[in-house]
Amino acid sequence: MNKSFFRILILALIIATLGVLSIYSSTYQKQGAWQDIYLRQMLWLIIGLVCFFLISGFNYRKLWDANYFIYGAALFFLFLVFMLGIVRLGAQRWLRFAGFNFQPSEFAKLAIIIFLARYFSRKSVNDTSLMSGKFGIFQGIILPLIFVSIPMLLIIDQPDLGSGLMLMLVFICLLYLTDVRLRYIFILISALALPLPFLWNFLHDYQKQRLLVFLNPNIDPLGAGYTIIQSRIAIGSGGFFGRGWLSGTQSQLYFLPESHTDFIFATFSEQWGFFGSCLLILMYYLIIRQGLVIAQRTQDAFGRLLAYGISLLLAIQVFINIAMNMGLAPVVGLPLPLMSYGGSSMLVTFIALGILVNIDRTRNVF
Amino acid sequence: MERKTILSLIIILMFAALLTGLLNLDILQGAKFRKLSDSNSIRLIPQFGSRGNILDRNGEVIINNRISYDVMILPQELNRLDQLLIRLSRILGVELAELKASFKKNFISSSVPVTVIRNINVNKAILIGEYRAEEPSVIITPKPLRSYPYGALASHVAGYINQIDRWRLTKLEDYGYKTKDIVGFGGVEEKYDYYLRQEEGGISVEVNHRGKFTRILGFQAPRNGKDVQLTVDLKIQKIVEDCMNGRRGSAILMDPRDGQILAMASYPNFNPSVFVNNRSSLISGLFNNPAAPLFNRAISSSYPPASVFKIVVSSAALELKKINLSTSFLCQGSTMVGARRFSCWDTHGSQDILGAIAHSCDIFFYKSGLLTGAQNIHDYALKLGLARNVGFELPYETGGFIPSPLWRKINKFQSWFDGDTANLAIGQGDCLVTPLQAANMMAVFANGGYLTSPYIVKAVGGLDVSAKKKKLIPVNLKKSTLDTVAKGLRKVVSDEKGTGNALSSLAVPVAGKTGTAQVSRGANHAWFAGFFPFDKPKFVICIFLENGVSGHAASIVAKKIIEAMNNQGLI
Repeated sequence: MNKSFFRILILALIIATLGVLSIYSSTYQKQGAWQDIYLRQMLWLIIGLVCFFLISGFNYRKLWDANYFIYGAALFFLFLVFMLGIVRLGAQRWLRFAGFNFQPSEFAKLAIIIFLARYFSRKSVNDTSLMSGKFGIFQGIILPLIFVSIPMLLIIDQPDLGSGLMLMLVFICLLYLTDVRLRYIFILISALALPLPFLWNFLHDYQKQRLLVFLNPNIDPLGAGYTIIQSRIAIGSGGFFGRGWLSGTQSQLYFLPESHTDFIFATFSEQWGFFGSCLLILMYYLIIRQGLVIAQRTQDAFGRLLAYGISLLLAIQVFINIAMNMGLAPVVGLPLPLMSYGGSSMLVTFIALGILVNIDRTRNVF
Repeated sequence: MERKTILSLIIILMFAALLTGLLNLDILQGAKFRKLSDSNSIRLIPQFGSRGNILDRNGEVIINNRISYDVMILPQELNRLDQLLIRLSRILGVELAELKASFKKNFISSSVPVTVIRNINVNKAILIGEYRAEEPSVIITPKPLRSYPYGALASHVAGYINQIDRWRLTKLEDYGYKTKDIVGFGGVEEKYDYYLRQEEGGISVEVNHRGKFTRILGFQAPRNGKDVQLTVDLKIQKIVEDCMNGRRGSAILMDPRDGQILAMASYPNFNPSVFVNNRSSLISGLFNNPAAPLFNRAISSSYPPASVFKIVVSSAALELKKINLSTSFLCQGSTMVGARRFSCWDTHGSQDILGAIAHSCDIFFYKSGLLTGAQNIHDYALKLGLARNVGFELPYETGGFIPSPLWRKINKFQSWFDGDTANLAIGQGDCLVTPLQAANMMAVFANGGYLTSPYIVKAVGGLDVSAKKKKLIPVNLKKSTLDTVAKGLRKVVSDEKGTGNALSSLAVPVAGKTGTAQVSRGANHAWFAGFFPFDKPKFVICIFLENGVSGHAASIVAKKIIEAMNNQGLI
């Protein structure tokens, strides 16, 4: 057990506990099924912690071998969602299994990262240098793009535009971190950016609304803009010290939708104010920074990319979710890792953190 | 720089951006968002206090309030609203469409309760009160409404109330007046509106995003307005109004010792309750009536004083020693002033000042007036309180007018001739006097030579304010002048041929002066101004009848009033 293990464990535990408290405070006055949600979240927390302990002892190099299996399983479940899925809030993202909902797209995120980490850390047989430096555009960009796109498109089709685009972002960032030539990366970015205006037509209406409303929430204050407006009100009304635990009117009186999932940050911020929210953001940053530090001091290329990938996954999700809460990004339905209500996200995050710790532990490998 | 370093930097920047965003929302705009958050979930239900009552000098109610019940609804989401309105329409027995229409009309914003129906029967109010137990978004608001138990009595003294108009609102905004506030117009309601006004209180409640009431947050009790106690005596006012019997004109009863107004009436009058009941056709009738019923003729209208003005001439002439007690002039029905013939209404023969006042001989006053001179008459008129506002508490007082040679010269570029003096001496021509000024002038001779500052409000909110208002301004007239004029005024009544002889049959000794003002169109106006009891004057009375034909008619009205007052033991 090294220092990073404890650091990450404590930070993640604190954040997750704050999450449970926030969920409790936003639901304790609501009737019916709402009452059990924080209990479920605690259950997921405990399961997550168990996974964390287990995975941190599990040699991450085994993931290299299991890569194709993991990738395949992810694709399979995504297809399953695609076919069967249950309809909730207009999105087919969950599979119902033994009384619980689980979201394959969350697991798919991790699977894709593992895949990319392995793909770009392949070494040539002739020397032990990374092959990625010598990749041409096909091998460097197009091939991995295909492998990323398939699950990504399935996710986008669910529809979960947020997770899908986030994957693309993670892909580009990881690409940047490998030795692939910058030129290729620019080509990729331009190739993606050019058809964007054309792709606008493929968006669902509500997704279009969300993008328009992101630019100006007041064009639809009672419809698509409502969430952003209420979220900003919730955050802003916290002031410096917040309104106090259990005193968040926006979340408790139903003014803020999704107050226990995508907008859990606003719920937290309403109660704990600027002070509490800064501390929360700081804690997230510390975890991510720890991840980056682990990545930098790992000598194993696979481990390094994996660590970077996981850190990026966390960083981008946290950033987009909090920006979304503040109205700085369009509403895309990304959960806040460790805090949002949702078993799959909590599990995947703890598994990812476990892998991170394990990478740090088994450093000296050639 | 290495790629990984750049990436770390980017991540740091991202988080810094988040912190900045947080700073913006929480610190820079925090107050604004706090306010929005509160206005999301907090609703204010107003509760009304009642306007101050208007009482007479003995504490009897002249105008008070009665409770009416309004039904208000906290705005909420549409399908619940429909259910609510359906229930209400069944309980109230009112058409659903009407409730819906009134909801739409009175809707201000989703954070303000909407009045759906006003002034419901108290039994229905109880029923809805019971319904409230299951539906707390329905609110019964008791609303005090102005009530006029005596109808049109003292309507000009009190005034009426109505919604505030724009002009007043711009002036009074800083004093806490808002649109749709009810304020007083005319009379005490207007002048003392600031004290009569009630203060709204209310309950603040919390609602959820559907507008559904969740709990009560706080309560502030409303405050009633302060009662205003008048110097008016309800019994005397009733007598006066009965005796005037709707004849156009005005009547004033005043105490000459300190200037308290005991009764003030003006006709045509109006019933202020039309404004409360919002009878718009009647209201516009009042405004459009050419007889101007909303006008307080006692203070806002001025008329030629006619023979009442002879008091001024007498005072001036005696004071300036132009005439004395033994001076006498011969009245043969007419006289020449310059090249014109000026006539008297009767042939009186030779008279001294006392007789001239008693018989209202014009010839005597033509001659005295010419001796005194127009400018002197003008100056003494001013001394006796004419030609300027008395400074009365009620609004819209006018100051009347007394011409003088100087005025003529400056304003009309004309010279003053003796004929003008003669006209002035008998109170015709350009002179204008309000009934209140006439009463005040009478008071000088009733109280031994002091001009009063008439007032009508005795106490506000229980606090006596009369001490500040009792002002007696000495008029510099010699005692002999005062006595002589007073004797003359007494002779008006006591002498058989006195113009006010009709009043001699009363048990109370009255002194006074009649007047018949000639007008270019229609019948003459009638004046009677006097005081009683003569030995120790406690009252000044002034009756003015528009187109009353002759001063005699006014004196009859005065007689009726004094008789009734005597019968009721009010003297």
